[in-house]
Amino acid sequence: MIVATPPRPADLRAPATMFAQVAHTPAILAIEATRDAVPTVWIARQDAHAALARLKQPEAALRMLLDLTVIDERERTHRGDQPPSAFTLVYHLLSFADDGDELRVKVPLPADRPHAPTISDLWPNANWYECEAWDLFGIVFDGHPFLRRLLTPPTWTGHPLRKDHYARATEMPPYSLTEDQEKREQEALRFDPGQWGMHRHSANTDFMFLNLGPNHPSVHGVFRIVLQLEGERIVDAVPDIGFHHRGAEKMGERQSWHSYIPYTDRVDYLGGVMNNFPYVMAVETLAGIQPPPRAQMIRVMLAELFRIASHLVFYGTMSQDVGQLSPVFYMFTDRERVFEIIEAICGFRMHPAFFRIGGVAMDLPTGWDGLVRTFLDYLPKRLDEYEKMVMRNGIFRARTKGVGAYTVREAIEWGVTGPGLRACGLEWDYRRRAPYACYDQLEFDIPTAANGDCYDRVVVHIAEIRQSLRIVRQCVDNMPAGPIKADHPLTTPPPRTRTMHDIETLIHHFLNVSWGPVIPPGEARGCVEATKGLNQYHLVSDGGTMSYRTRIRTPSFPHLQMIPLISRGAMIADLIAIIGSIDFVMADVDR
Amino acid sequence: MSDLPFILFSLVAAWAAIMVVTRDIAVHALLYLVVVLLSLAGVFFALGAPFAAMLEIIIYAGAVMVLFVFVVMMLNLGQTDRDRERHWMAPGVWIGPTLLSGLLLIALCLTLRAMPPTTGSDTLAPIGPQTVGILLYGPYVLSVELASFLLLAGLVSAFHIGRDTRATGVNSGTATGDV
Amino acid sequence: MTAPMPVIIGVTLAILLGLATFLTWFERRLLGLWQDRYGPNRVGPGGILQAVADGIKILFKQDWIPPFADRGVFVLAPAIGMMTVLLSFGVVPVTAFWSIAGTLNVGLLFVLAMMGMGVYGVVLAGWASNSKYALLGSMRAAAQMISYEVFMGLSVLGVVMQAGSFTMRDIVLAQSGLWFVVPQALGCAVFTLAGIAETHRLPFDLPEGENELGAGFHTEYSGMKFGMFFLAEYAGVVLVSALLVTLYLGGWEGPLLPPALWFALKTSALVCLFVLLRAALPRPRYDQLMALGWKILLPLSLLNIAATGAILLLHAPG
Repeated sequence: MIVATPPRPADLRAPATMFAQVAHTPAILAIEATRDAVPTVWIARQDAHAALARLKQPEAALRMLLDLTVIDERERTHRGDQPPSAFTLVYHLLSFADDGDELRVKVPLPADRPHAPTISDLWPNANWYECEAWDLFGIVFDGHPFLRRLLTPPTWTGHPLRKDHYARATEMPPYSLTEDQEKREQEALRFDPGQWGMHRHSANTDFMFLNLGPNHPSVHGVFRIVLQLEGERIVDAVPDIGFHHRGAEKMGERQSWHSYIPYTDRVDYLGGVMNNFPYVMAVETLAGIQPPPRAQMIRVMLAELFRIASHLVFYGTMSQDVGQLSPVFYMFTDRERVFEIIEAICGFRMHPAFFRIGGVAMDLPTGWDGLVRTFLDYLPKRLDEYEKMVMRNGIFRARTKGVGAYTVREAIEWGVTGPGLRACGLEWDYRRRAPYACYDQLEFDIPTAANGDCYDRVVVHIAEIRQSLRIVRQCVDNMPAGPIKADHPLTTPPPRTRTMHDIETLIHHFLNVSWGPVIPPGEARGCVEATKGLNQYHLVSDGGTMSYRTRIRTPSFPHLQMIPLISRGAMIADLIAIIGSIDFVMADVDR
Repeated sequence: MSDLPFILFSLVAAWAAIMVVTRDIAVHALLYLVVVLLSLAGVFFALGAPFAAMLEIIIYAGAVMVLFVFVVMMLNLGQTDRDRERHWMAPGVWIGPTLLSGLLLIALCLTLRAMPPTTGSDTLAPIGPQTVGILLYGPYVLSVELASFLLLAGLVSAFHIGRDTRATGVNSGTATGDV
Repeated sequence: MTAPMPVIIGVTLAILLGLATFLTWFERRLLGLWQDRYGPNRVGPGGILQAVADGIKILFKQDWIPPFADRGVFVLAPAIGMMTVLLSFGVVPVTAFWSIAGTLNVGLLFVLAMMGMGVYGVVLAGWASNSKYALLGSMRAAAQMISYEVFMGLSVLGVVMQAGSFTMRDIVLAQSGLWFVVPQALGCAVFTLAGIAETHRLPFDLPEGENELGAGFHTEYSGMKFGMFFLAEYAGVVLVSALLVTLYLGGWEGPLLPPALWFALKTSALVCLFVLLRAALPRPRYDQLMALGWKILLPLSLLNIAATGAILLLHAPG
């Protein structure tokens, strides 16, 4: 019998070794209790680097910098007894060796010229996170190798995520692009090797600097890599992101808790409902809502169906990037079957926005189990066919084996999660190590591979499709009866029985879906093992109908940072295979 | 009349050769050189040596010249090189060699005129590939062997120069991929 | 059945160019069949007028030459590509009596010569475009085509030894007992691979490298010049298929049906094979391609020559 999984209380978790490492040092300013029970400590700016350096020891603890972000505290009213701070720098660490061991380190910064020491010497993946913090908040990181704008254009002025920066273009005078301005923008995008410390020629050859993208068939979205080439070998590469930035985090501050859900669909546009998952989990933690078992299982089933759909896209586009033009068509046909099920249940295909605060939008239609079972019987044979067509093809193997390999240590240093990490041999899955929804009652394996090269990443993805099929089958066989929305005042929209009875319920319903539910103040995060890695939404509520700060930690952001490391010395054809095997989506990177 | 193809091919060859030396863009000069070789092949064909004509195209125009074009492409020559070529085209540069070559030509013509005519049939019979093959491996087998030594030496040196001496790390993707 | 030379030339040209145009539609339909989708099927019965529609569209496109390109060579390159392929057809005998120059005594060498000249089309296109992607594409093309020319030449030497002549017609007539594909299987395999590489079709289409270089050596081309490259590629496919048929599959020989029909059927089957290869196989990396050629195909073709020579000497009278 499937029961609803309550959120993990702090005292049931394994002894938090990171917390223990810092909790009693004199550098601590305060210990904060957050609604999601992630241990949070405040450390002063001058002690932050030393404390984080100590937290990185021992080596065997495999501690990753999961997220580095900033909260603009200047307009926040319900801070409780948190230390005074204008900008709070938040470091989120996750240990892969000890289950459930996480630590959030907060560093208060003043309003006037906020700056902090860089930690990119400790964790290389902090590089881009700190550039993003500079770009969006204006925090200067002392000692950073090259602090520059990442998500906004190089000619942008101001720091968008600050509370005093406008959110809508209509708040500024009308925009016009003159020819001079256009020239200026183009010049700003011109690549200057000197800025990056690159030489223009080696001892006996000139280097060629080539733009791969942003308009290119194989870069999976609007993504630009500037390559320093010697003939066909890549000497160095500089990824340039930000073309797909749409300000999702800023929009979170203008949308109600409920009406933001469709925005989350569009962050990882292949993930659909998988993106709603961490967001509604975070809101429910803040509100103290416990979704009923049926809602949990529906959520898991739909999330796994989207994992299958996303991995099928990965599979098809990977083989297409390597030159095999046909398999992608077959896999998209399979995706159509998945979308038939999702459309029957949710009403939409790619961006269903089906999850609600407190449960899911609607109950499952009659006949849904027949649809799902047909699909479950249909897909395994097709996967076997693709195995013969793609994975056992000699040319495919020659293109992907030994290409773009990295070790577990490198992966953790650079923030790689998801199938890319499992392909190196680390058997770690958030659904198993820190289960959410009803995953702890479902049986599934965690596929891994040994070498961490492109071929192994594809192998892991395919194995995950099979495991997802297994999970969906268990969901179909064991779907509990019951309500699909929690019986809680903050459930939005309220369950059917509590709407439109009398004036009370009518007012309540109307306010909830128009103005939005008022979520009590606090901080919480929701984290899931999304299709591409760990996807985490960190929400700060100031007791209003809108989020005070919505931080979206996406898995693809650090994955792209790693590209220069694994492609130095490779040929352009290898780079294409590497990009295809990383499985990223630009909207996931830029938000 | 039967000499017409020969005359046409020769005129084209001569004109193209002049174009080769007077171009200032290197690739244009090379293309005219290809035209010279193609017309020479035509001359061979007209004179009854089809095998030689085909070999001229395959090897000379089709392989050697492609190598030339390849290398010149890599050099990425620009406007400064064109200006330098034009500068070197000044009359002071080519008058001397041209006069001396003219003297050589006159000397050659006089010597050929003075030579006794060869004994042999007046009509030219085309020589097929079989005849060439038999001759090559008959009286001329020594030159074939010498040529093969030369080719072997070229092959070995090319292999040596082109060897990948870089240490292959984990990221370089096998230089000799197994297919 | 024969005809005056201008008629033969005219008909051959018309059929060739018509076939190249027809192939633009046929390949898409065939690829669609193998990829679980429809190809073009709207314009005309079965979509066959799509080829005409595409032709009209491409002819009406703006004839733009990039300002940074070398104009003369830019326009010349596609012409070279098309010309060499069409010239090669001159020596392919369709039947014993129908060919333009099928009795040329160095016919096979002429084909190899024209293949060699075809490299210029690709190389000059890349150079004249004056753009980095195009340059990369033509660099790869030059190396690939030159290398595979060698293997092509070496692999057909076995056929020449068995037939005893370079004349295409004589080669076909020598297969009246047993098609050369049986004794020369190794040479046939090497020739097929080399032929695919010469016409830079998948799996050897690195010069185009759609997924890597945008469009490779013809990145800067548009309009009818691009159309010319496109048609030259399809004409090349037909050429290599026709050569395979002539050299290894007995040319026009076969029971019952008229010889011209046999030739057409065999060539069409091989063209379908080309399209199937495009649908099915991924693309090896550049260095893997060269390694395949020089480390596998070269020894195999040399082995073929040695074995054929040895066996012929053993069975030689006297």
